[in-house]
Amino acid sequence: MFFHIVLERNMQLHPRHFGRNLRENLVSKLMKDVEGTCSGRHGFVVAITGIENVGKGLIRDGTGFVTFPVKYQCVVFRPFKGEILEAVVTMVNKMGFFAEAGPVQIFVSNHLIPDDMEFQSGDMPNYTTSDGSVKIQKDSEVRLKIIGTRVDATEIFCIGTIKDDFLGVINDPAAA
Amino acid sequence: MSVEPFNRLVKLAARAFYDDITTKGDNQPKTGRSDNRGIAVVVLDALTRRQWVREEDLAKDLKLHSKQLRRTLRFFEEEKLVTRDHRRETAKGAKIFSAAVAATVDGQQTAKEGEEKIKLHTHSYCCLDYAQIYDVVRYRLQRMKKKLKDELENKNTVQEYICPTCAKRYTALDALRLISLDDEYFHCESCNGELVAESDKIAAQEGGEGDDNARRRRREKLKDMLQKMEVQLKPLIEQLSRVKDLPVPEFGTLQAWEVRARAAGRAANGDSSGIDPSRSSLGLGYGGSSLPFVGDTKVEVDLSGAEGKGEVIKSENESSLKVLPPWMIKEGMNLTKEQRGEAKQESKMDGSSASLEFTDDKKSLIENDDKKNIQDEYVKAYYAALLKKQQEIEEAAKKHDLSNAHSLNGLSSMSSSRQVGMKSKRDEDEGDDDVEWEEAPVASNANENYKVDLNIQADASGDDEDDDIDWEEG
Ligand SMILES: [Zn+2]
Repeated sequence: MFFHIVLERNMQLHPRHFGRNLRENLVSKLMKDVEGTCSGRHGFVVAITGIENVGKGLIRDGTGFVTFPVKYQCVVFRPFKGEILEAVVTMVNKMGFFAEAGPVQIFVSNHLIPDDMEFQSGDMPNYTTSDGSVKIQKDSEVRLKIIGTRVDATEIFCIGTIKDDFLGVINDPAAA
Repeated sequence: MSVEPFNRLVKLAARAFYDDITTKGDNQPKTGRSDNRGIAVVVLDALTRRQWVREEDLAKDLKLHSKQLRRTLRFFEEEKLVTRDHRRETAKGAKIFSAAVAATVDGQQTAKEGEEKIKLHTHSYCCLDYAQIYDVVRYRLQRMKKKLKDELENKNTVQEYICPTCAKRYTALDALRLISLDDEYFHCESCNGELVAESDKIAAQEGGEGDDNARRRRREKLKDMLQKMEVQLKPLIEQLSRVKDLPVPEFGTLQAWEVRARAAGRAANGDSSGIDPSRSSLGLGYGGSSLPFVGDTKVEVDLSGAEGKGEVIKSENESSLKVLPPWMIKEGMNLTKEQRGEAKQESKMDGSSASLEFTDDKKSLIENDDKKNIQDEYVKAYYAALLKKQQEIEEAAKKHDLSNAHSLNGLSSMSSSRQVGMKSKRDEDEGDDDVEWEEAPVASNANENYKVDLNIQADASGDDEDDDIDWEEG
């Protein structure tokens, strides 16, 4: 699920960035630092959408670095249990398959793949129905439901299922 | 707070979940003789009839080896059904507990009176924790149901994996760390063994290897189990819902309970005073148990005596108890009535009330207690004999008796009353105390038991009047 929230961060800026472009430098550094990171609390920071305010800088003794408290708006992505996501399959093996939904990695174990799909090993390992009409392999797009999340301080990992109504392959690259 | 519904819950749970629990270590051979299944149920049942109980006592009551009992109790402690407490205590501390037990558990305390030879030891006590039992049972049912349902629907379950070599467990949430680049399996982090998915276990038990047939069979089996569970555990579930809104019985910690139990016991004794059957029966219990142990009963008697004293002093509501001197007089009056042949039971009353007095006496309580019992017997015998002789002797001793009754304080007075007093007491009845007598009848119910005993004794010893006298002299 996506959220638009305000976060705060103390940015340290090297003295060489001081000058006319200080603010731009500050923002671009913030983007570089923050976008794509993950916090267990808020989820993945997808994009910074604006700066709320930049507080007074504090020059640090000895180094000349200046610390600015920056409040910024951003879009975060936080997966929840029970949420339905669309994801791209990245790897298939006998134990199930891995998929990515943006920054989130999801594992679907073979027990949560419909019973009529069987694992086929080979160059392109895949799960296929007996009539071959549906196939899950690398780069397939699937719709899945998250049934569990592991949230660490800097990482979120999910497990999902496609064994439910309206879940499963939504676009088969091989068929296209 | 009623314990009964909760006790029923415990009993149902015991039979549902702990019926075939064996507390033997795995290394011990399971021969038929060492098979102790069912003991768990017995222990739980026994605990429903007690509150806090010393584990040695429980073992003795159940005729179990204390080690075996302790093993069972430790198991229940882990199961969160039982709270235990351990403390080092002297013989006196143990006695305090015994007194508390005596105050709460009717009829079970008598055995404990005699076995107070405990030195400084660590004693363990245990008690059912009803609040927790309620939660534990519900949680257990919930887990059972969830596990079966999840597995049945094969849905929303976090797959678990086990390393067959080192038995380390993983879940699907660890998947990212477990993939290997070499093959398509998960590998153990510590031993690099190939992990096995756990839900294959039930299927594997049936010999199937995850194919469709096995899956179908597994589903059927699970469905069956779920159904059976609902049918077989229905009484338990119903009992749970019945208990749901009831206040849970709480005994508190061992110390708190002890204090309360003793206070309650005292209060109960105080209320009933000499008149209440339960009280008199208690008194008799003490007396009866102490008799065989004349040698080492001193402490116990002291306890009961002290309790008795406490009641007398503390219960201010009961004017009858307060006014001891009148009591004495009453007894005297009773005696006289009996002599008249109105009721032998009342004579019994006299005996018990007399014992009360004795406790108050400064004389050694032990002596009093023992003597009291014996005296009771003698008194009865005496009365029986006296009744026969009444008509003949009535007139002779009246004046002496009067004086005796008023001065009744200790054993000596008792003896005197026996010897001479029977006849004389009749006279007293006619006097001031008749009114008080009317209060006494309540006690007659309680005393009936005694009456029977006494009568028997009286019959047997009726001829032994001489002996009585000897005894007193001794
Ligand atoms: Zn291992």
